[in-house]
Amino acid sequence: MESLGEEPWDVVICGTGLQQSLLALALSRSKKRILHTDPNYYYGQYEAALTLQEAESFAAKHAGGSSEAEKKRSVVRNAAVWKPDDAEAQGLKFPRAYSLALAPQIIHTKSKLLSSLVSSRAYRQVEFLAVGSFFVYEPAKDGSDPKLSRIPSSREDVFSSQSIPARSKRSLMKFLKFVLDFESDDQKPLWEAHADASLTDFLTAQFKLEDDLKRYVVALTMALDGKASVRSGLAAINRHLTSMGMFGPGFCAVYPKWGGLSEIAQVACRAGAVGGGIYMLDTSATMKPSGENEKASLELPNGITVQADSVISGQETTASVQAISRLIAVVKSPLNSLFQVLVEGAPTPAVAVVALPSTPSPIYAVIHSSDTGECPVGQCVVYLTTLATAGSKHELEQALVMLVYAVEGEDSTSPCLYQLYYEQALGDRQSTTENHGTTPALSFPPLSATIAFEDSDLEAVKTAWSLVSGDESDEDTYLVFEDREGADAEDEVYE
Amino acid sequence: MSTRGGPAAARGMNARFAQFKLVLLGESAVGKSSIVLRFVKDQFDSYRESTIGAAFLTQTISLDENTTVKFEIWDTAGQERYKSLAPMYYRNANCAVVVYDITQAASLDKAKSWVKELQRQANENIIIALAGNKLDLVTEQPDKRAVPAADAEAYANEAGLLFFETSAKTAQNVRELFTAIAKKLPLDQVGPRHTRPGQRAGGVSLGASGEGANTQAGGACSC
Repeated sequence: MESLGEEPWDVVICGTGLQQSLLALALSRSKKRILHTDPNYYYGQYEAALTLQEAESFAAKHAGGSSEAEKKRSVVRNAAVWKPDDAEAQGLKFPRAYSLALAPQIIHTKSKLLSSLVSSRAYRQVEFLAVGSFFVYEPAKDGSDPKLSRIPSSREDVFSSQSIPARSKRSLMKFLKFVLDFESDDQKPLWEAHADASLTDFLTAQFKLEDDLKRYVVALTMALDGKASVRSGLAAINRHLTSMGMFGPGFCAVYPKWGGLSEIAQVACRAGAVGGGIYMLDTSATMKPSGENEKASLELPNGITVQADSVISGQETTASVQAISRLIAVVKSPLNSLFQVLVEGAPTPAVAVVALPSTPSPIYAVIHSSDTGECPVGQCVVYLTTLATAGSKHELEQALVMLVYAVEGEDSTSPCLYQLYYEQALGDRQSTTENHGTTPALSFPPLSATIAFEDSDLEAVKTAWSLVSGDESDEDTYLVFEDREGADAEDEVYE
Repeated sequence: MSTRGGPAAARGMNARFAQFKLVLLGESAVGKSSIVLRFVKDQFDSYRESTIGAAFLTQTISLDENTTVKFEIWDTAGQERYKSLAPMYYRNANCAVVVYDITQAASLDKAKSWVKELQRQANENIIIALAGNKLDLVTEQPDKRAVPAADAEAYANEAGLLFFETSAKTAQNVRELFTAIAKKLPLDQVGPRHTRPGQRAGGVSLGASGEGANTQAGGACSC
């Protein structure tokens, strides 16, 4: 590896976002010559986990907005950090004690991401934590305080619930039974004709669900616009219910400790490095013009030019107008009551999800306990997400206060020790491919900014893998590896 | 096949099991991987090439009847040159072994710069050990020594590091090095939830059932 520029690389991967990193993992046993670069000092790009110091430079870099005239907009914009003047006195610890996840997606146990991590043996380097309860925020009503109602999420759960009247239980049970089997030929006739209609209307018409129960069901779809269609809503509820109990009792999704998808990106890059790939952080590779019959050349900051048989990167701008607003808040109390073990033998959950009603679209708050390693003990990190509108920053800040009040009661007027706000484009959902000379170059679309990880985000990774692998690609070997030497030597105790 | 929780669980309710992330740092060819290979497999290979392909290693040591410590060892994967794996290394590391070669004076300078970087970037309470490797060479030919043990030890004391001169080749002080680190780790902070591997702080094991899940995914495609 004396000279980076000497001979062509089989692939240059620009950026260490989740998709680029999973590609590096997929190629890690291929003997391909891989150069993997990232313009930042840290791994993960838009899926990174940031210390408070890194959050500040991230906010400075992405502070810019998007004027209406711009056709192409940056993926992240309007970023800002804030903390109270006396944050340290109130309990804010040193910057490296925090790890704010830019991609805090929960991962359903049925997700292909998990099965790929298992089959590629990369899961051994990740610690997974359980996602616990899902709640709906109930505003104050008739003099009663606002509160969080836990959504029952299995049939046993519905059965034992005290808060649902018996008649409603029967209709909810009927719905749950249906949704578990909704893709079967028996059930399809019931919904296929209404596939694109509103799930809420369908629940009323077909199952006579009452308003409270409908809100539970719609909240569980985690549709950011609050308007799931029958098709997408049933698929989301089915995923939720069938994921329950897969890796143990009481949870349907997991979360990687230390910063969510960032951790998976890092483990995947590490697998790439162990496989012989060369990693360069703080390095942006810029495509140079190339002749029709030449390979693409990329220029690195040190003046070196490298040639590549293929180039894989991520889209930095998007034509998409729709964006989400995200507020990441460090809260000075642990909100322990959200992380209770409710099923015998279940692991202590480290993540809870709360749906807050709001117009025009709902707000989702995902709360991470200090078990995630993202904040010191005694605090928690709340990730609030809603579709971006002119007022959404203010709405998210209010939702945070409402949430903490509903959990803690009186003494919670200013719960926040630190916050990072930004807007993230929802992206075009398609990878793009173009040719630079003889070199194909593929760009990944931004990851879905959803509450739960979407398996569809993995499709582009496989497309890129096929592109790089060319004739050698054998689908059966995609992300299926043996353990590396020494990886499972855990039963020998050195006495 | 390994059984998770075997050794600790077998020792009953008082058993403590703790897992810690250990990172190895130091210049190329000072013997980082050889030290790990000696510790994990009790092997030595004089002609071992630069580390590619075998950098995920774990080793469990028993400190006493009730205490088992598992090291998750992060070797450099032969990527010293671009220092680009470093940020991954520092994050959440509980302990570090910084290695130099006692026959190469410059390698101690490099080790010192790693120590400085660890103290700046890593966890506040990270345990760092300094290991002067290739003691066997000096035992055979004393004039090969380029770093006096006393000098390195004085530096280690000043910087608050554990210090050992080791030989991966003869195994001298290798086990002692890791045991000393294990003894300094905050085992008393290991609560009841840490008593079994895979069960830390609400931890979820994808191990056995995960493989089942994978088979299922292959069988019944849900896309």
